[in-house]
Amino acid sequence: MNLPDDFAFTQGSLQDAADCLRRFELRYIKRLRYPAVEAAPALQFERRTRQGARFHKLVQQHLLGLPAETLARSLHDDPELATWWETFRRTGLAGLPEQRQAEITLQTYLAGRRLTAKYDLLALDAGGEAVIVDWKTWRRVPAQSYLESRLQTVLYRYVLAKAGAHLYGAQIPPEKIRMVYCFVARGGERLSIDYSAEQLRKDEDYLLNLIAEIEGAEQFTLTEDESLCRFCTYRSLCERGGAGPLDLLDEDDELEEEDFVLDFDQIAEIEF
Amino acid sequence: MDRPEITCDYLGNARASSRLASALAHIAEQIIAFELAAFYNRRNRQRQIGKRILSGKLQIPLTPEQAAIAAAPPDTKIWLEGIAGSGKTSAGVGRLLRLLELGIPAESILIYVPQRSLAQPYLQALRRHSGYSGGQVAVQTIGGLSLQMVEAFWFLIAERAGFGHPHDLPNFLSLESVQYFMIKIIEPLVNQRDYFNSVRIDRARLYSQIVDNMNKAALVGFPIDQIAPRLKRALPGGVEQGHIYDDAQTCALAFREYCLANNLLDFSLQLEVFLDHVWNLPQAREHVRMRYRHLIADNVEEDNPASHRILADLLRLCQSALVIYDSDAGFRRFLGADPENARRLQGFCDAREQFADSKVMSDEGRALGRALAGQLVAALGGSAEDDPQPSLITEAHRYHPQMVDWAAGRIDELVNGQGVSPGEIVVMAPFMSDVLRFALVEGLRARDIRARSHRPSRALRDEPAARALLTFARLAHPRWHMRPAEFDVAFAVMTAIDGLDLIRAKLLTEMLYRDGRMLPFSDVKSGAMQDRITYELGARYDRLQTWLNNYIEGAPTEALDIFFRQLFGEVLSRAGFGFHDNRDAGNVSMNLVDSARNFRWSLEFMRRYEEGTDLGKDYLEMVDRGVIADFYLRDWIADNDDCVLIAPAYTFLLSNRAVDYQFWLNVGSEGWARRLYQPLTHPHVLSLGWPAGRTWTDDDESAMNRQTLGRLILALTRRCRKEIYLGYSELSESGYEQRGLLLEAIHGLLRRSAADNINGKARV
Repeated sequence: MNLPDDFAFTQGSLQDAADCLRRFELRYIKRLRYPAVEAAPALQFERRTRQGARFHKLVQQHLLGLPAETLARSLHDDPELATWWETFRRTGLAGLPEQRQAEITLQTYLAGRRLTAKYDLLALDAGGEAVIVDWKTWRRVPAQSYLESRLQTVLYRYVLAKAGAHLYGAQIPPEKIRMVYCFVARGGERLSIDYSAEQLRKDEDYLLNLIAEIEGAEQFTLTEDESLCRFCTYRSLCERGGAGPLDLLDEDDELEEEDFVLDFDQIAEIEF
Repeated sequence: MDRPEITCDYLGNARASSRLASALAHIAEQIIAFELAAFYNRRNRQRQIGKRILSGKLQIPLTPEQAAIAAAPPDTKIWLEGIAGSGKTSAGVGRLLRLLELGIPAESILIYVPQRSLAQPYLQALRRHSGYSGGQVAVQTIGGLSLQMVEAFWFLIAERAGFGHPHDLPNFLSLESVQYFMIKIIEPLVNQRDYFNSVRIDRARLYSQIVDNMNKAALVGFPIDQIAPRLKRALPGGVEQGHIYDDAQTCALAFREYCLANNLLDFSLQLEVFLDHVWNLPQAREHVRMRYRHLIADNVEEDNPASHRILADLLRLCQSALVIYDSDAGFRRFLGADPENARRLQGFCDAREQFADSKVMSDEGRALGRALAGQLVAALGGSAEDDPQPSLITEAHRYHPQMVDWAAGRIDELVNGQGVSPGEIVVMAPFMSDVLRFALVEGLRARDIRARSHRPSRALRDEPAARALLTFARLAHPRWHMRPAEFDVAFAVMTAIDGLDLIRAKLLTEMLYRDGRMLPFSDVKSGAMQDRITYELGARYDRLQTWLNNYIEGAPTEALDIFFRQLFGEVLSRAGFGFHDNRDAGNVSMNLVDSARNFRWSLEFMRRYEEGTDLGKDYLEMVDRGVIADFYLRDWIADNDDCVLIAPAYTFLLSNRAVDYQFWLNVGSEGWARRLYQPLTHPHVLSLGWPAGRTWTDDDESAMNRQTLGRLILALTRRCRKEIYLGYSELSESGYEQRGLLLEAIHGLLRRSAADNINGKARV
């Protein structure tokens, strides 16, 4: 087991492990970078990913105080995104608690391992509801059971329950936590998933087992479900076919870009 | 020492040219060096014993003076100063943990550093102490903060900042994109008006110095139209030199005008927009005030006046602060570091503390540092009673390879003879040439010692995987008329096909590369030749050739990054091909993809304003011109093995890490003290503290060189726990005699020791 002591589990890495231990090993232990195309056609996939990122940025800017109308004027080059934005303006924040934190990251520890969750929006009322909002730009709304089983749902609710006390004023009772997926490309349709103490215990057991499985793995086995390989960049290494078709992928913002920021103040005179 | 000559025949001087190339590499490596601290600090030994702060699992060992800093009330603003290795950052880490223990939300704490990697001790302390639940501490640099803030508040300031399309998104330029647009805008001016006609250095360096001038203006805080007046006032080099500065000024203004017209932001414009517009927005101020209530600013001496201005405001706004200043440092001056200006931040603090004693170096090491530095600058020297010799080991050689062999032999004694951990050894030189690096790595490998080196100045295009991908890109896009040379095709085929050596690859290419296209293996008519190549390799070749031909006959994309990814995923990374399960090839390919994609995105953005760009072709042309690829932190983070580090001196220094043993090689080199030759810019004259109207003299140059080297020596010795080995060869790598300032200082020291011996003072 070569996982660094300070390794932080995210929803992405946990989902990778749940889908395919081999993928987890390649990406997080061997740190093998494999720049194959995720989905075809690649440029269309890229466009969707960038649209999703830009939408999230718009929400962030709005919550920082930029007027919605000002932001709307910037969308003249992307009618689809403009439609999403209008949807957000009408419904995005409706009914949510007033104390709002955008793009906040929380962390907690489980079995000596760090778990981190980066939230699009946390909306809380001290003593009242604690709502996790996640904007989705997917073209279709999946079944609730699918979302409930996603590691994002499992991890985000668990981490908020364990690490959100300072935002709430006290430990957040699981029953007060709710996760809301907001599908802006589907007219702002929402899918809400509640939480409970019993679910927290189940989730904790699930996470403990998953972490134990990763840490105890002597061999990181390749998934038998080849449908999970369609959008995996390691599929050529595993001889598992070509890039999956984009129309089967409705999770454009789930395939995260590697998080990297180049410090511009490193720039001085450089050979070129 | 003479003032650096601004010469017309610089390129014709082989020796100077060699020095120039080395210096360039040196600078590029310095820039990357900061990123290395991430993993070095992880192993930084903590020798302090004393109190443990914080209950439960959040514990680090602190001395009483560190503990006092950590435990100061949470509404205190403290200025902490001390030499390297005196435990300031550990005190800062203790302070951070203390704030968290008091229940202060982590996201309200800002760690502000000149370079993200310098925040690693803080982040690692948090990561290593399981039990903390809550938010995450923010880490910012002036670059990161300005980027985030300009992007977030763009639509509120774009119009008043003078951008041509205030309702469109901004386009933050990567270094490559800056170079591309600089060439596009300035090259016609240079060609038409015969600019810089008396400066004989590479065009690329000219442009990068123009960028450097603009960055300096933004960091220091003067308008870019004052670049030439400032340089001319301080560096009067006659009419011709004045023209050079005027040319540089005109080019900077032209580039700025183009950026404003097209929503492009290079670093200098990003910073100016941040400081002049975003930072004045009430919404932005309020966001920062609400977000960051507690400030820990480390290594402020390595930061620039723009950062100091922001820090001064943050100090006014925040509830508590700890500002940490490293004495005798300020090594990022080439990036605008201004240690004198940093001192002004003291005025915003309630308390001032000083750590005087090193927790790292031995008495002998301290004596050596003082004695050597004292040879250069009297004020840096120590007591006459100091005896530097016990920590100093040196041996003179006639030839450079002998010195390298000596160093490898000494390291062998340490590692294999005395059981020293390789990670406790660093080998330094002012510049780390390919030759020196190779000789050292091979010398150590022969002794079964693992070594690692960082050569960030090595261009991506020089990596075999990247070379192969770039060659295939040329083959796959015949309409660009950039047909690759036969040898390049052979090299690419060899790299792409697992098991194919260069000889057979050349044979294949000679037979099958015709008129810019690759023919199928079946076109090899000779059975003997087919046998020699083997059918297995021939089949792999066919798979590659078929893929390329299908691509050409299909609808080739102008998105070169997509082409790279398709070729990688569908052929090169498959079993039987050279990139399969190949970590280096994967990393290089990914970097090339990132580079080409960022370039494409910048140019796609421009298409709404002007036509005439051919994305893929333009990228390849930039590669041909020698544009380096962006470099990426993740490559460096991954490299954390316990190996001997081989690095330029500043690379090691700015990693802010201590080791037991240091090897200083090429101690005769002038590179230890001499400033980079820069005919268009000047780090001191363009600094905040340079008095208007004062002329930069030879005496200034000499004093600056001595001061720089003196401080470098102190800094290195303060990061050494046991011994320093000095490697000297009479003749340099290029065969020239070496008489640099460091050698002069060493000679002075040895003469003094010899005199002390005669007088019975020396202890050895």
